[in-house]
Amino acid sequence: MLLVSAAAAANVADHSSRSQVAGVDVVTYRTDVKDVVVILGSLPAGDAMAEPGNIAVPTLTGMMLDRGTASLDKFAIAEKLDNVGAEIAFSVGTQSVEVRAKCLKKDLPLIVGLIAAELRTPALLAPEFNKAKQQFIGALEASAQNTEARAQEAFGIAAFPAGHPNRPHTTAEFEAAAKSATLDELKAFHAKYYGPAHMTLVVVGDVVASETEAEVRKAFAGWAGGQDYVRPASPASLAAAREVTVPLADKPSVSVIIGQPTGMRYKDPDALPLRVGTAILGSGFTGRLMGIVRDREGLTYSISAGVSEDSIVDGLWDISASFAPALLEKGIASTRRELERWWRDGVTDEELAARKQGMVGSYRVGLSTTAGLATAILTDLQRGYDVSRLEEFPDAVNALTRDQVNSAIKKHLNPSRMALIEAGSIPPAGSTTQAKP
Amino acid sequence: MRDRVELAQARESRVARGIRFWRMRAACLCAGAAAMGALVPAASTAQQTPAVAGFTHVKSLGGIDEYTLDSNGLTVLLVPDHSAPVVTFQVTYRVGSRNEVTGTTGATHILEHMMFKGSENFNDPKGNSVKQFLERVGGQFNASTSFDRTNYFATVGRESLEGYVAIEADRMRRLWLHEADRQSEMTVVRNEYERGKNDPDNVLMEEVTAAAYVALPYHHPTIGWKSDIEHVPMSKLRDFYDTFYWPNNATVTVIGDIEPAATLNLVKKYYGVYPHSPAPIPAMYTEEPAQSGERRVTVKRPGELGTVIIAHKVPNGRDADQPALDMLDAILSSGKNARLYRALVDQGLALNAGAGTDLHRDLSLHTVYAVLAPGAAHAQVEKALLAEIAKIKADGVTAAEVERVKQQYIAADAYKRDGTSAVAGEINDWIAVGDWTLYVTFSQKVQQVTAADVQRVAKTYLNEDQSTVGWFIPVPPAEKGS
Repeated sequence: MLLVSAAAAANVADHSSRSQVAGVDVVTYRTDVKDVVVILGSLPAGDAMAEPGNIAVPTLTGMMLDRGTASLDKFAIAEKLDNVGAEIAFSVGTQSVEVRAKCLKKDLPLIVGLIAAELRTPALLAPEFNKAKQQFIGALEASAQNTEARAQEAFGIAAFPAGHPNRPHTTAEFEAAAKSATLDELKAFHAKYYGPAHMTLVVVGDVVASETEAEVRKAFAGWAGGQDYVRPASPASLAAAREVTVPLADKPSVSVIIGQPTGMRYKDPDALPLRVGTAILGSGFTGRLMGIVRDREGLTYSISAGVSEDSIVDGLWDISASFAPALLEKGIASTRRELERWWRDGVTDEELAARKQGMVGSYRVGLSTTAGLATAILTDLQRGYDVSRLEEFPDAVNALTRDQVNSAIKKHLNPSRMALIEAGSIPPAGSTTQAKP
Repeated sequence: MRDRVELAQARESRVARGIRFWRMRAACLCAGAAAMGALVPAASTAQQTPAVAGFTHVKSLGGIDEYTLDSNGLTVLLVPDHSAPVVTFQVTYRVGSRNEVTGTTGATHILEHMMFKGSENFNDPKGNSVKQFLERVGGQFNASTSFDRTNYFATVGRESLEGYVAIEADRMRRLWLHEADRQSEMTVVRNEYERGKNDPDNVLMEEVTAAAYVALPYHHPTIGWKSDIEHVPMSKLRDFYDTFYWPNNATVTVIGDIEPAATLNLVKKYYGVYPHSPAPIPAMYTEEPAQSGERRVTVKRPGELGTVIIAHKVPNGRDADQPALDMLDAILSSGKNARLYRALVDQGLALNAGAGTDLHRDLSLHTVYAVLAPGAAHAQVEKALLAEIAKIKADGVTAAEVERVKQQYIAADAYKRDGTSAVAGEINDWIAVGDWTLYVTFSQKVQQVTAADVQRVAKTYLNEDQSTVGWFIPVPPAEKGS
């Protein structure tokens, strides 16, 4: 199907096509799967685009997309999808509205047409708006009790200054905004931000490029507008260490994050070295954190390190873990010890060689499904690469040296300035020193 | 920070995608791993089954060939699919929490964790443990434990298959079981248990399940009771391993870019060294007594949104009524035209609502549920859920609803062709209920379901006196225990 073979270089060019169609950046990739088509798309209309006044508008606008169009109500849309076993789902993220769809090859014209209608002419009617508000508020209330969600929220606020696209709003702020949002605000937001100018559609599977492009042209013809992604004037940096606790009652497991902003986008020359070095610290079972804090010391079920949110703007670096309240102090101490050892001493040649091999192998296995391939392509495009990145990524990883990795770690991270977030039922400081194991 | 819309829609879409094992509450080695892709093999693959010395060909169906390794009874399923140069290898042991008793609850799952602590020939000191090997070659791997089975699996480039098979076979009978490893892993598992307790809905589902089953071991959660996790001795784990981890209690499934004869020889090379178990695999012979009245449970914990679950025991996963029950669930909960969406979500009573069945080797558990919208009352939502069941029992479903679900199954069969790992997961679940061929035939059986069948199964199984109702009632932190 794709790139796991030695003929990878020929594969991408032979199987893919990219062109501007009705103002939309359209990529098709033909695989050997029979009848199945996956569509992924994005356009810049996420939370970061919220106008002063109401931060809930981007999400609420996204929630209205599948609730009826100018010509079809939501039940009619659902019936068309159900009758052919197809799926279309929209989600709203920090920067983008994303669409994910799956259908049979024969139904591609129908699905492309529905996606276009939902994006271009959502009905935006008051009764559905009120239901969307209620569901959004309910989801926020559920999220308010989720230790991981609350830890991530607190971390984003600690890491990024006001005005940075990656700085989240609090659950309480979202809830208040959702309650006061108006339909006129949604209509104005849709008119300003929804358009083809920076929209991408990736269509993967049993597809023919020319036929797919013809359907996109038909469905999106005459649409105009759209805004670019939001990029801050300068990257974020953490000036001093800080600790934030988010108390939540009756939570037997505490979510912990230790991290900082990276100050880098994915395409920065140091970004890939930092990613590979971070994988050595905290990816998979052989990452140092799992191997030591979990396997050897038995302090946690889940601990990992990663870089995120850096496709479009400067991103985040963090360690995420869970600890029982009684083991919280010990768990954080062990995690910090390994973090500082990794930062101070760097990674070894042996670790780097093994991790490079594993990352390349895992990348290739991940491309063996249409969904995995489509996700990789869309992510690469958002990062500013072309489809050829699919075949360039393994070479980029293999070319890294230990010096590049260790200097990126030292240059861009500083454990003494990282934020520590704890969310859950946190015991008083010093009360857990006698805890097992 | 992301996907706030998906937050609201997550549960709805889970059922909407027609996932039959929608709520298989499996515990697993590592959070966030596995569950890749969504591919499946060409069901119509026409191929010659190779004659390989030492194997008996049992049957072929839908592009899947079943063999038995004559020397020890190991079952082997081969699913060639050459659309990508990857292979998913999986071994499913027919042992789960159904095989546990008081004092050893959770033992199956702890043993699953211990399976990653090293074996005689593959371990961390040698630098070739299962984790080291699979992460070095970029394999996507994990393991999971459920009520009726335990499985270990990895998707790797085809060139790495033999390396993985060698390790997987070694730990079938040569596992290290060291007390020091049990002690460190016990606290890992305990944190997995604690993470589950963070979610009130998960706690509610455990309580409903425990109330619904009084005799069958499905009564206790797969992860076990906390005290058993903490205190089960190594001797019990060793007994468990020596009782159930034998080739004649396992099924090996190999899916992807394989050559059948070579793959069988590979399996024989590494698994053929073991004998049949010295004693028969113990049968679980407990039967559930009839339920003669509604049962109710309540969970009160800090939280924001209430939940209502209504559960009914239904036949085992192989039963001829399961396709009609699955059709019933899809009509209740698949998409915006589903009855529960229209009656509860669209009316502002629930944030989401759904229906599904945990398929088991013995009595399965059917549930309908709703997460309350802010301001909605539990009694009101429970009444609305029951009203939708009552309507189907009284008036049946429409031909259009039945046809819509059938079309969804036709599409789902095509989607199965997109990925080896998802195929392995689904075959694994059917092995667990006792018949892998349902992976192929279940959707065919759904195509035969009629509207009358749907009404009949609703009348037969969804009755008040055989129900277990659970409410999660969120309370302010100060009120807990008052």
